[in-house]
Amino acid sequence: MTDIASRMAVSSAEVIAQSDVNPDAAMQDAVEDAPALPVKKGGAGLSGSVIAGIGLVVLIGLWIFSVHVLRVPPYILPSPEAVVNALWSGLAIDPASPKGYYLPLWSTLSNAATGFAIGSALGLVLGSLMAESRTVEKLLMPYAFALQSLPKVAIAPLVVIWFGFGDGSKVAIAALLAFFPVLINSFTGLRSAEPEKIDLMRSLSATRFETYRIVKLPNAAPFIFAGLDMAVVYALLGAIVAEFLGAQQGMGVVITQAQSVSDVAGVFAALVILGVLGIVLHSSVRRLEHRVVHWAHRGKS
Amino acid sequence: MATPQLSRSDSTPRVRPLIDIAKVSKTYVTASSGSVHALNKVDLRIAEGEFVCVVGPSGCGKSTLLRMLAGLDTYDTGRVSLDEQTVTGPSSKVGVVFQAANLLPWLTVRENVRLPLRVGGRHDAANERIDALLDMAGLGEFGRRYPYELSGGMQQRAGICRALARDPQILLMDEPFGALDALTRERMNMELQRIWQAHRKTIMLITHSISEAIFLGDRVVVMSARPGRILADLEVPIARPRSFDTIVSHASYATLASEIRGLLNAQEGAPND
Repeated sequence: MTDIASRMAVSSAEVIAQSDVNPDAAMQDAVEDAPALPVKKGGAGLSGSVIAGIGLVVLIGLWIFSVHVLRVPPYILPSPEAVVNALWSGLAIDPASPKGYYLPLWSTLSNAATGFAIGSALGLVLGSLMAESRTVEKLLMPYAFALQSLPKVAIAPLVVIWFGFGDGSKVAIAALLAFFPVLINSFTGLRSAEPEKIDLMRSLSATRFETYRIVKLPNAAPFIFAGLDMAVVYALLGAIVAEFLGAQQGMGVVITQAQSVSDVAGVFAALVILGVLGIVLHSSVRRLEHRVVHWAHRGKS
Repeated sequence: MATPQLSRSDSTPRVRPLIDIAKVSKTYVTASSGSVHALNKVDLRIAEGEFVCVVGPSGCGKSTLLRMLAGLDTYDTGRVSLDEQTVTGPSSKVGVVFQAANLLPWLTVRENVRLPLRVGGRHDAANERIDALLDMAGLGEFGRRYPYELSGGMQQRAGICRALARDPQILLMDEPFGALDALTRERMNMELQRIWQAHRKTIMLITHSISEAIFLGDRVVVMSARPGRILADLEVPIARPRSFDTIVSHASYATLASEIRGLLNAQEGAPND
C-alpha cells in the first residue's frame, strides 16, 4: 500500500522536477547573479515556444499533405480548412446561441470545475486525516487503493443511475476522478515532513494543528499541487465521459451529435477546443504553484 | 594518551546548577539493530551563565542528552532537571539551535525568527524584539528574504536568533556549525562568543571539533563511545574574549587539545577531527 503511495509520490516529484527544467531561466540566473526573487518569467521559455511553433507547423503540413496529396478520405481525416470552418461557425456566433460552443463549453467547464473543487477538497481533507491518524489510515487506505485500482470510468453508469442525467452526475464523476490524485499526494506530502522540523515545533510546545498548518501543510504543498495538476485534467475527462452517457448540453454532447451525423470536422473542432481548455487549466495550476511554492523551485539549502 | 594534568572542575559547582543531569541512563529499541544502550549513568551539572561544550565520538549519545534537556526525548533512570524542576517536556526556558539551521523554507527569515512567538501566541512587542535580534546577528537587511537566498552561515545565525526569540535562560546547540566551512565556522564561533557575552545565556553546545569546544567553552565535557558516559570534565583556563589568533598560542590550549584528542582516540570508535 505504502509502496503505491511512494510510487505515486515519485511520479509527482518527477512532475515537479520537469517544471524546473528550464535552461533559459538557469542562464538568466547565471547572467544576472542578482538576489534571487520569485521566478521571473518573460524572455524565459521563448525558444521553447519557438520549437513548439515549428512542431505545430510541421504537424499541420503533414495534415495538409495527407488530405490533399495522399487523399485520405474526409470521413477519416477532414481537411484543416473544414476543421477551421467548423471552429469558426461555432465560435463566431452569438454566445447565447445553442449552435455555438459557448453554452456547451460553459456547461462542461462549470461542471468540471465544481467537481474539481469538491473532489480535491475531499481529497485534501481525507488525505490530511489519514496522514494525521494511523487509525484513519488503516481504516480508509484499503478502500482508497481498491477504488484507485478500479477503472473509475466504469463506475460512471452507476453514478448516472444515482444522480440522473442532469449536472449532478457530471459533477460527481468529475469529483470522483479528481479525488484520488489529491488524496494520495496530500497524504504522501504530509507524511514527508522532515523529523527535524517536527522536533522544532515540538520544542516550541506547538499544538498539533499549529504543526500541521505551519510545517506539514506547506511542506506538502509541492505534492498537493502535483495532485491538483492531475486532478484538473481528470475532472475535465470525468465531465466529458458523463456527458457521453447522456446529457442535455456540454462539449461531450457536441461531440456525440457531430459523430451521429458523421461530421468528422465537427468532432475535430470540438477536440481542438477541449485540448486548448486542458492546456489552459493545466498551466493555470502550474502558474499558481510557482506563485505559492516558489521556495521549492529554488535551490534548497 | 596524554597524562591528565589539568584541573578537573569540581563535581559540586560554586553556583547552583541550572542544568542538573543526575545518573541518567537510556536504552532505546530500534527496528534495525535491536536494543541500544545509549547513555550510562551520566552526571553533568551546568551553572547559570556557564558555557559547556560536549565532545564525543559519533553515536555516543550526546545528541540524545541534548534532546532530553530539550524535552524531546525520554530517559529510563536518573533525573534531568532545569532550574530544580524535573524535565517532563519542552520548556520555554530552553531555546534549541538545530544542526544545519533547520529553517522553514516557506517562511521569510523574519517569520522564521518570529516563529517561537507566533507559536506561543505572544504577539505583543514582538516586532521590536525580532528587529533587535536580526540586527544583532547582522541580518537586519535580510528579514524579508527567504532562507534559500542566504548563505549557510547566515542561515545558522537566523537559527540562533530564532532560538533566542523567547528569551530563554538556556540555549542548547546540537552541532550548529558542523555543516559550515572552516573559515565561516571560526567566524560563527567568534560571533557566538559575542552573543553569549552580551546575553549571558547558559549554553550547552555539542560539537565534533576540539578547537571549537576549547574556543567556546568554559568547560569541555568529553564523552565515551556508546554507551555514553562522561570521561572527563575539563576547565578551559583561557580568559575572554578569546580569538583564534591568540588562543592557539596559549599555553594550556595545546595541553587541553592533546588531552581531549587522547581521550577520544582511546575510544574504540573512529577518532574525531
